[in-house]
Amino acid sequence: MFPQFGATAETLSKASTLVFRIGTDAHLYDDPEDANIAPLLDSKFDSEKCEALKRLLALIAQGVDVSNFFPQVVKNVASQSLEVKKLVYLYLLHYAEKRPNEALLSINCFQKDLGDPNPLVRAWALRAMAGIRLLVIAPIVLVAVEKCARDPSVYVRKCAANALPKLHDLRIEENTPALEEIVGILLNDHSPGVVGAAAAAFTSVCPNNLSLIGRNYRRLCEALPDVEEWGQILLIEILLRFVIAKHGLVQESIMFQSCCTESSQSEKDGSDVNSAFEEDNGDTGCDFMSELVNMVSRCYIEGPDEYLSRLSYINEVSSGLDRSCFMSGRSNDDVKMLLQCTSPLLWSHNSAVVLAAAGVHWIMAPREDVKRIVKPLLFLLRSSHASKYVVLCNIQVFAKAMPFFFAPHFEDFFICSSESYQIKALKLEILSSIAMDSSISSIFQEFQDYIRDPDRRFAADTVAAIGLCAQRLPKVANICLEGLLALTREEYLIGDFVCMDEETNILIQAIMSIEAILKQDPPAHEKVIVQLVRSLDSIKVPAARAIIIWIIGEYNTIGEIIPRMLTTVLTYLARCFASEAQETKLQILNTAVKVLLCAKGKDLWTFKSVLSYVLELAKCDLNYDVRDRAHILKELMSCYLGQDLEEETDCLPRKDIPQILAECIFRGQRKPMSPEPINFRFYLPGSLSQIVLHAAPGYEPLPKPCSLLSNDLHQRLNVVGSGEGATNSDSYETDDPDRLSQSANEESTSGYSSQNSISGSSGSDVPGSESEDDDNVDPLIRFSDVGISNKKQNGVSRSGSDSMEELMSKQTLESWLDEQPSLSDPNLSKQSQVRRSSARISIGDIGGRVKPKIYGLLDPTNGNGLRVNYSFSSEISSMSPQLVCVELIFENCSAESMSKVLLVDEESNKGLDSADQSLVATESSMPSQNDVPNLVYMEEIASIEPGQSTKCILQVRFHHHLLPVKLALWCNGNKYPVKLRPDIGYFIKPLPMDVEVFVNKESHLPGMFEYERRCTFTDHIREMNSDKGDSSLTKDKFLVICKSLAVKMLSNANLFLVSVDMPVASNLDDASGLRLRFSSEILSNSIPCLITITIEGNCSEPLNVTVKVNCEETVFGLNLLNRIVNFLVEPSITHL
Amino acid sequence: MLQCIFLLSDSGEVMLEKQLTGHRVDRSICDWFWEQTVSQADSTKLPPVIASPTHYIFQITREGITFLACTQVEMPPLMGIEFLCRVADVLSDYLGGLNEDVIKDNFVIVYELLDEMIDNGFPLTTEPNILREMIAPPNIVSKVLGVMTGNSSNVSNTLPGATASCVPWRSTEPKHANNEVYVDLLEEMDAVINRDGILVKCEIYGEVEVNSHLSGLPDLTLSFANPSILNDVRFHPCVRFRPWESNNILSFVPPDGQFKLMSYRVKKLKSTPIYVKPQLTSDAGTCRLSVLVGIRNDPGKTIDSVTVQFQLLPCILSANLSSNHGTVSILANKTCSWSIGRIPKDKAPSLSGTLTLETGMERLHVFPTFQVGFRIMGVALSGLQIDTLDIKNLPSRPYKGFRALTQAGQYEVRS
Repeated sequence: MFPQFGATAETLSKASTLVFRIGTDAHLYDDPEDANIAPLLDSKFDSEKCEALKRLLALIAQGVDVSNFFPQVVKNVASQSLEVKKLVYLYLLHYAEKRPNEALLSINCFQKDLGDPNPLVRAWALRAMAGIRLLVIAPIVLVAVEKCARDPSVYVRKCAANALPKLHDLRIEENTPALEEIVGILLNDHSPGVVGAAAAAFTSVCPNNLSLIGRNYRRLCEALPDVEEWGQILLIEILLRFVIAKHGLVQESIMFQSCCTESSQSEKDGSDVNSAFEEDNGDTGCDFMSELVNMVSRCYIEGPDEYLSRLSYINEVSSGLDRSCFMSGRSNDDVKMLLQCTSPLLWSHNSAVVLAAAGVHWIMAPREDVKRIVKPLLFLLRSSHASKYVVLCNIQVFAKAMPFFFAPHFEDFFICSSESYQIKALKLEILSSIAMDSSISSIFQEFQDYIRDPDRRFAADTVAAIGLCAQRLPKVANICLEGLLALTREEYLIGDFVCMDEETNILIQAIMSIEAILKQDPPAHEKVIVQLVRSLDSIKVPAARAIIIWIIGEYNTIGEIIPRMLTTVLTYLARCFASEAQETKLQILNTAVKVLLCAKGKDLWTFKSVLSYVLELAKCDLNYDVRDRAHILKELMSCYLGQDLEEETDCLPRKDIPQILAECIFRGQRKPMSPEPINFRFYLPGSLSQIVLHAAPGYEPLPKPCSLLSNDLHQRLNVVGSGEGATNSDSYETDDPDRLSQSANEESTSGYSSQNSISGSSGSDVPGSESEDDDNVDPLIRFSDVGISNKKQNGVSRSGSDSMEELMSKQTLESWLDEQPSLSDPNLSKQSQVRRSSARISIGDIGGRVKPKIYGLLDPTNGNGLRVNYSFSSEISSMSPQLVCVELIFENCSAESMSKVLLVDEESNKGLDSADQSLVATESSMPSQNDVPNLVYMEEIASIEPGQSTKCILQVRFHHHLLPVKLALWCNGNKYPVKLRPDIGYFIKPLPMDVEVFVNKESHLPGMFEYERRCTFTDHIREMNSDKGDSSLTKDKFLVICKSLAVKMLSNANLFLVSVDMPVASNLDDASGLRLRFSSEILSNSIPCLITITIEGNCSEPLNVTVKVNCEETVFGLNLLNRIVNFLVEPSITHL
Repeated sequence: MLQCIFLLSDSGEVMLEKQLTGHRVDRSICDWFWEQTVSQADSTKLPPVIASPTHYIFQITREGITFLACTQVEMPPLMGIEFLCRVADVLSDYLGGLNEDVIKDNFVIVYELLDEMIDNGFPLTTEPNILREMIAPPNIVSKVLGVMTGNSSNVSNTLPGATASCVPWRSTEPKHANNEVYVDLLEEMDAVINRDGILVKCEIYGEVEVNSHLSGLPDLTLSFANPSILNDVRFHPCVRFRPWESNNILSFVPPDGQFKLMSYRVKKLKSTPIYVKPQLTSDAGTCRLSVLVGIRNDPGKTIDSVTVQFQLLPCILSANLSSNHGTVSILANKTCSWSIGRIPKDKAPSLSGTLTLETGMERLHVFPTFQVGFRIMGVALSGLQIDTLDIKNLPSRPYKGFRALTQAGQYEVRS
């Protein structure tokens, strides 16, 4: 409004900050405990609350633990003021994990906020709720995320994507499929902002689920330029991984090593630099390079650790990647698309994006196109110091593998004195690896300046770099040697003024560089050696002297001058031996021996005397290393030293062992110079691991080329295989009794009892077991006329109630999150139409087929032959609602009998006698809420004979429906710790009711109390297939579906089957509309829990099942829902 | 992803900690970090990516404040570093500079900003213009209001429109009374002159800064007269790639407010506007130093804020320096700074004096590098010229302004 005023205000504010600091929060930071925080928090004024919260925040910032205010702060979460909310969230997220119980108090507020019309409030609530990271509320958060992922606001959807990794962090395996599904939805979002966040979620939730990308690959590529910069970084990598997993590597890329020599010749026109480089260096350089590039590509795909370890035992650089891993990038649209959509990102102003895009081109682009990454990468060097370092680390690898890409740009690596040492060192290394004959003169000019730099460590590195350049470019070796020799003569280096460590380092480095250059072609540099020897007089640094003396010994036979001057040199060395440092002494000894071994003719005698003189001196040296060396050499050389001249000819044929040893050690022929084994570790460009040079946790090399396709195939095969296996094993089911009784609205009482008995433990003789008795009764299907007529007559009325119900749920849905009703409307009305004509059936006798799932408690291998299995029993504990009945089956698998088998609670296993047990019994006979024992014990089993098995019922109190209970199993006096895992399906008990009551109750539990999930159900297919061979042509497919669903449900949870609604559709194969209702109540607090299962799809195909749970206890309900979906999905081979 | 962010003062004190994920990072890591920093010599700073015994640390330092972020898992390191740089930029923009006091005084805003900028270790909203709409920057008006009414909320009640619009960097319908747009060319000259006085490297790093106050959803097209001289370019996300690829035209919908439209580099320049000629001759334990500064190629505008700085070598015991123009001062860290200001027409400024070397040292064998600073208003030394700026989608004719500025970047003269 008033820009001028605003500007002056800002300058004024700066002044005020400095002088008065009025109006800032300075006083809060300086003295946060100035005021009493607690009463402020309870104040009814927002401003006072704010102040208190700011004080708390200041304390957090200063590292003080203020979690004791948690309860008071949590109360304020309900505040209407956004600022208070924000501050509370900041506090809450900092401490939530420490105070989980109090944090739970805020959940209701979050849920309320999630329905707020202001998207900012919704987003914040979601962020805070997910950020609390409590295992208990994970299901609620999941539901909230699911809804927010469909929120109209982009910002909220983005936050939903960000919440997924938070949920994933909790490591609840049951949630994973749901999370992945949401990731898939968000990746498909039309707003690029959401896609970016979804990419981040993808990398942390399911980085290997690349099939999720396959669906949207093209869309993601197109959206990439519009995605936010941070999302781009991750999305680029995901797309790269996907393409490699799907199509493999590109034939024309530099990763395809074998074409390095061939193709670069055939493609000379492709790049002038390339060809120029080859002319310069011939084949050796190229071979070396191809090996390096090969290594780089192998490291990218296998990970360097695996690759290098494999190399070490195969002991041969393998012949590169399998050709099948490669495909032609020119013809592959996906690859082209990837390169096309990432190339404009090389212009991004975010350096991380540029580097990520460059990485894709480095790996995937055709050789001639890779060059385009060079300039953008070099331009990154003009960004901040910190990113410069990271970029240089990456360029270093690129430059090593493909020097000629960077060779023309050598000027960009010239060093400024203001740069940090790490950057200077990296630049030097890059310069020495990209130096070409054309550029070396300018580079040396620079190096000369660098040697005069005040930073002496850097100067020493420069000297080393000169040596490297000379080794790479033999043509300049002479110039380098001259320069280095001149350096060794510099008086500041060799003078008496040697107190400075750095200066001596430069000298040593210079001599080392000379030595390295000499190694390549010693005969050519004879004069250099002579000059070095001459400088022995002036060079005082022991390490440098030692290297020179080594050079003398090593090359004592080369040329003409050196052998002539050896006598003088050796006598000189012998004379100054006593005053030398230890390392020099050792080298003098070695050199004397080497010289003697090679000596011929008249000098032999001199050398002998020098050696014996030196040895004598060394034997009396103060340093034991030198003394030891002298003793060994004396032994080895005894034959040379002891013999006279004339005997020399004789001694040759009869060489004794010391002599051979001496020859081997000191005259061993040097192998011709081979390129040093490359032992670098390469990690993917742009990765953290590449900077720290070890695989950081979570680092993954590229996926195996073409692995995506084969994986999919594999999975499919697996599915088919297991399906077949199951069909065979389950064929017995055909002779089960099937009985269907249909009645319209009223449930038969026998139905009730049989339901109850079904869920009862096997072996109990309640009425329902009669169905087991008459195994041979034919399937009995009774369609009651009444039912049909009823259905026709009451069709209207029922449809009314149905649509009523739909209306309810729709309303609640809308009220909870104002979704566009237009979207959901047609769907719903269609559904209700389908359901309008439906009949109700009751399945009477599936009791015999209900077999609860059996879990293993103790394995015979761990328990000395004792096997303990358990299954959850549907019996209800008479003692306390907190107890769950578990049926234990003890089986002796060993050859000896077992005695005193007893299962006790871990904590109370100290003193075990009957008194304790009776105490437990008395306690449990009058249960109170808090005083229920963890375990109501069965009697001790006196003994189990081999092969025998025993059953007993145990009542357990689980503290939480997800957490296992730790128990101790005693047998033969041994203790085995075991874990009893709870099954949430048995934390409920059947609650008999009829449909009207059910519908009524359901309508009272809308909104947050209603949760839905979809899954597929396949059990019935196998059953139908197995039936085909039999007579049951008449068998109703619907019935099979109903029964298999009902059996599945009742076998896994303690439920009451309320009703089965069957659609009367024209198409007999269409099972859509089939609906099963189950009811139950939670054991501990008797809150009803209603489950509705609705089916869609074709009878003979996998069905889409929608499971809906209505329950006031949100957390419990959601966990139950997850459990139901999980067991519905898994193929049932359990009730064997 | 990032697990934690710490802000450290220049004495190593932790001013602020913000935990980002459930994997809490203890602040003892800062102590470890600071020990490393102290143990290193001053000239060699710690690398920006450090593998500590427990965490990987990313760190950047801005004006004495160290921004430190920790992670335990693989993530693109540049992402961490770029994010920290962005945080530093935003904070310095909000608080009008960075120092220990200003961060402590505004710690609530810093917390609120960090909370908006990063969620669960992944950057959330980093566009400065949008952040400004979510969290109001501190200014005197709000402060006075805050003092008087006791209510000082700086948290916006509504979500910025930009988050919902199809152009994520721009709010949907900003309204401005007078539409105006300013385009600034800000150039920095990097040059290296070796000891023989030869120009080894000379290039321009430039930025096109745009300050836009335009209503509605305008579509801008900026073209240069000589785009071919640009060696490298980088763009703000709002720039469309196609027009640049085909015609070297910048076509974009600008964010509202100040932003960096593009940055570029022009390489291989042949000359510099000024010359700096240092001479050092040493003998018998003393060293004579003289530095001459003058205008080489008159750019047509005044060159001002000329400074010459160099580090006195550790082997120098004392220095006696004087100049015929400007002031010479030796700072605490043995940096000698000669500020000349504007180069006079009639005489060439020169600095001369003697340096006493360490006892036992006859002659100098290492030589300092001279850093040169200057500023030229109104000229883009690269020669880049803006041709036209077209604005579409705007009802009234806006005011358009152009400016240019060149200053020295890494301008070094070796001796």
